[in-house]
Amino acid sequence: MSDETTQVEAAGDEFERDLASLGEVQLVDADPSKAEELLRILGELKVRHTGKKSAIAAAKKLIGKVAAEKRADFGQLVQTVENKIVSTIAETEAKLKDLVSKAKTESERLDVTIPGRRPRTGHLHPITIVRQRIEDIFVSMGYSIEDDREIETDYYNFDALNIPEGHPARESQDTFYTTEGFALRSQTSTVQIRAMERRGVPIRILAPGRVFRRDTPDMTHTPMFHQLEGLCVDKGITMAHLKGTVTEWLQRLFDKDTRTRFRPSYFPFTEPSAEFDFSCFVCHGSGKLDGERCRPCKGTGWIELGGSGMVHPNVLRACNIDPTVYSGFAFGFGLERMAALVYEIDDIRHMFENDMRFLQQFK
Amino acid sequence: MNISYNWLKDLIDIDLTAEEAAVQLTRVGLAVDGIHPHGDDFVIDIDLTSNRPDCLSHLGVGRELRVITGKPLTAETQRHGEELEIPYPTVLSPDFVKIENPELCYRFTARIIRGVEIGPSPEWMVRRLEALSERSINNVADITNYVMLELGQPMHAFDLDKLAENRIVVRAARPGETIKTLDEIERKVEPSMLMICDAEKPVAVGGVMGGLDSSITEQTKNVLLEVAYFDRASVRSTSRKLNLVTEASYRFERGVDINNLQNASDRAANLICDLAGGELGEFVDVYPRPTESKTVESPDISKAVKRLTGLEVSAKESLRILNDLGISEDDESPASGSNSKIFVSPSWRHDIAIEEDLVEEVARHAGYENVANELPPAYHAGEYQHTEETERKIRRTLADQGFDEAMGYSFIDKKHDDVYELVPGLLDHRAENKYVELSDSVIEGAVRMRPTLLPGLVESARVNFNQQNKDLRLFEVGRVFASHLSEDNLPTERELLSLLITGKEIFEERALPGRELDFYDAKGAVESALESAGITSAEFEAAEVKHLRPGQSANISINGHPIGTVGRLNEEIAANYKFRQPVYVAEIDLQTVLAEPRSPVPYAALPRFPSIVRDVSFTVRRDITFGMVRDTIKAQSVELCRGVEFVDVYEGKGIAANERSLTIRLEYRSDTGTLVDDDVEQVHARLLKAVEENLHIKQRF
Ligand SMILES: [Zn+2]
Repeated sequence: MSDETTQVEAAGDEFERDLASLGEVQLVDADPSKAEELLRILGELKVRHTGKKSAIAAAKKLIGKVAAEKRADFGQLVQTVENKIVSTIAETEAKLKDLVSKAKTESERLDVTIPGRRPRTGHLHPITIVRQRIEDIFVSMGYSIEDDREIETDYYNFDALNIPEGHPARESQDTFYTTEGFALRSQTSTVQIRAMERRGVPIRILAPGRVFRRDTPDMTHTPMFHQLEGLCVDKGITMAHLKGTVTEWLQRLFDKDTRTRFRPSYFPFTEPSAEFDFSCFVCHGSGKLDGERCRPCKGTGWIELGGSGMVHPNVLRACNIDPTVYSGFAFGFGLERMAALVYEIDDIRHMFENDMRFLQQFK
Repeated sequence: MNISYNWLKDLIDIDLTAEEAAVQLTRVGLAVDGIHPHGDDFVIDIDLTSNRPDCLSHLGVGRELRVITGKPLTAETQRHGEELEIPYPTVLSPDFVKIENPELCYRFTARIIRGVEIGPSPEWMVRRLEALSERSINNVADITNYVMLELGQPMHAFDLDKLAENRIVVRAARPGETIKTLDEIERKVEPSMLMICDAEKPVAVGGVMGGLDSSITEQTKNVLLEVAYFDRASVRSTSRKLNLVTEASYRFERGVDINNLQNASDRAANLICDLAGGELGEFVDVYPRPTESKTVESPDISKAVKRLTGLEVSAKESLRILNDLGISEDDESPASGSNSKIFVSPSWRHDIAIEEDLVEEVARHAGYENVANELPPAYHAGEYQHTEETERKIRRTLADQGFDEAMGYSFIDKKHDDVYELVPGLLDHRAENKYVELSDSVIEGAVRMRPTLLPGLVESARVNFNQQNKDLRLFEVGRVFASHLSEDNLPTERELLSLLITGKEIFEERALPGRELDFYDAKGAVESALESAGITSAEFEAAEVKHLRPGQSANISINGHPIGTVGRLNEEIAANYKFRQPVYVAEIDLQTVLAEPRSPVPYAALPRFPSIVRDVSFTVRRDITFGMVRDTIKAQSVELCRGVEFVDVYEGKGIAANERSLTIRLEYRSDTGTLVDDDVEQVHARLLKAVEENLHIKQRF
């Protein structure tokens, strides 16, 4: 065996020894915390065993000097040893880099279930939410939204609405008065009158607003609440239009299978008058939910919502509208009641307490 | 109104079950709230509207069933006096029954029944009364109740022998008079109240309740049965004033049937003779104010029904419904064949006056369920109130910044008067009464129509603190009131926006709060709200504000008009509420803001060349503000200087106790080329010198 051969084989052996000194590197599960250090050492090994001053580099220079008949074999040997060194280093390096990268990933692993970072979002009042939804529906149906005064004269609160002096509704002591004799409006029907005076006919308006009645607060009453009232006056308006309109907006608010029911009733400012109910949006009129009595409709399948009717001719006359030429319908209901239904609120006094535990439930 | 199913069947031969009857009655407007079994009977609970007192009896409900079923009412209720009538000689009647106030008592009948024996009522009557929750008293008292429930006419039985001079005077109470009523309460009565009196004293409150001393007892032998008609408003007012609502007053104030008095009296007198063994005596009917039947002109009822409801109901069917309801054609009515008719409203209906009322009668029996569902033809586009879009933006902006929307009562306690500074121009300070006050309230003390939303928000803070929720942001958009009259001669109403913040910054679903909120959070919220309203040029100026802490309060104005205030709630108010943490509030006149022209949004060409910024710190006393420094720099009108921004303010180590360090950033830029440091040096130095000299402050670094 020639010196050259021995020299090459020794270089290979020395690499094996150096590599072995890295010890754990051979193990697949090398400690990732040491991997960085090992990578550095491996870098040094690479320089020592494959660099310009390495034994292999020296051996390569000898290839030309080896006897011609041995040159091929020697060259082969050098190549084999070099390949082995280079590939072993590359493999080890890859293994270590993988370990490092995995370790880095591991150390930066997040808990993605921790809540996202965002400032607390506030909430609109349930009355506002319901009012806006219903306003949107009516605006799309060609209605103009109106509101007017909350402190009114008896004329607008009563007389113009066909509630003359001496009428029981006027003396029921439901109405708040100021010390100067003004009334707090007890229904948003006052807006009908003012709007008809201002706009004339034909008219289609929706009037949401605050109203006041001398009810002592309890779970279903507050002395102040919100009403929403619709009015449509034109030539040829009939009760069929009233039914159609009320049904349409309830279907848009709940779902298109919603049905309505009109029952004869009495209001001074409409004739004929009707109360209206709609099929329960929870049990869809069956009165039952999962075999139990449905709560919002109390098991009846129907929810009583509000009052309505054909505008009384005296009301039209009060606004200088000829009731033999024009007719119209009006309907109204309480927004608190609607909100209480939609959100299943059991005590409407919460509406005006502003407890954030209540307010923050409405998204 | 409770109705006995069996009793109904005595009056009309219907083949409907109680359930079926309930469904039919509800359909025509007599809303049945429930059906309750009672022995072999059913009690039908009807919720009547106030215009239908005629249905406060079995007879009235029977009439509705007559229209529904087409069956006739039985003779029981058709029966009239027959041979009973023994008229008292009319010339003598004033001595026996005298009406001094015919405007309060339109008609009064009295029937004498002698020789009765007071005792218990027969079993069948007790059962019927009990079914309708009426307590049995004695045969005579029970009969008056029974006939009232049957025919709707309240009546009262007196012990004739206890009436002084055995006669009746119907008159207004005299000053100082009292009466002990059947409920054993001694009541003071006043001259506005109508009394049934004997020769000396009141023996009953007319239409409301009888007196105890003249009532039927076991010793009673001779009875005077009163059946009368009283002025509705008078009964209502007396009942209110005495705070005494009885079954009689309930019916009288809604209106009974003035033509049914004798019939009802005869029915009761007959029953008394039958069940208490008396003998009929004199009958007197004093009717000083005969009422005319009301007539209603109807050019074409069928057409009117069609016009108002869309229902097709033939003239024949319309007439049938009206006739079965007792609404008959007047003799004056044009001959049959013509559609135009004059109808006579029956004396038991007080709610039929115009053709539309007839339409309702026909339509409810024809069935509202048969009215079609149609949408009116479209004619124009809908629109929101002109402020709605902006208000929605403001609400959304504030909600996005963590504010919950509050809503408070419009009436608050007077104790808040003059505690808060109100939005500019709301009150007329020359007026004697600046505020709107309610005559009374249902919430104790809450008689003030609020001139500010702040007391409500502050109270809401207290409510939340009590629940250990101490990090709050609340806003309210609402109306306030002042007494001086606006153009339409009504008290002033104005819409405000108010907000309140306290505690710390909080995060969704994270328990740990962030930094403490302060004045600048409140101010920032106001600025955001105004920006949502298109106002980007609000001015804030330090000011003393009544409800705010000095040194932490500002007036807000736009385009030179003051519109409100912002700042920290003062210590006095905070102490009243026992607040232990700072609370910041703001209130602005939203109505005025919404009426302001929106700030223009001009486009500026994007800068073509980069800018150079310079941060600079000044040591300033606390009376020197960022605003003053900024305005001084701007006043120099240096073209290259494009902006002055606030960077930071620092107090503490290294700064004298009465001073702070204010750091600002100046931005320099040219439109014609890239600036280098040297270009800026000179103008920057000039600006700093101007600041130092004008404000007498020193640059720190
Ligand atoms: Zn239901």
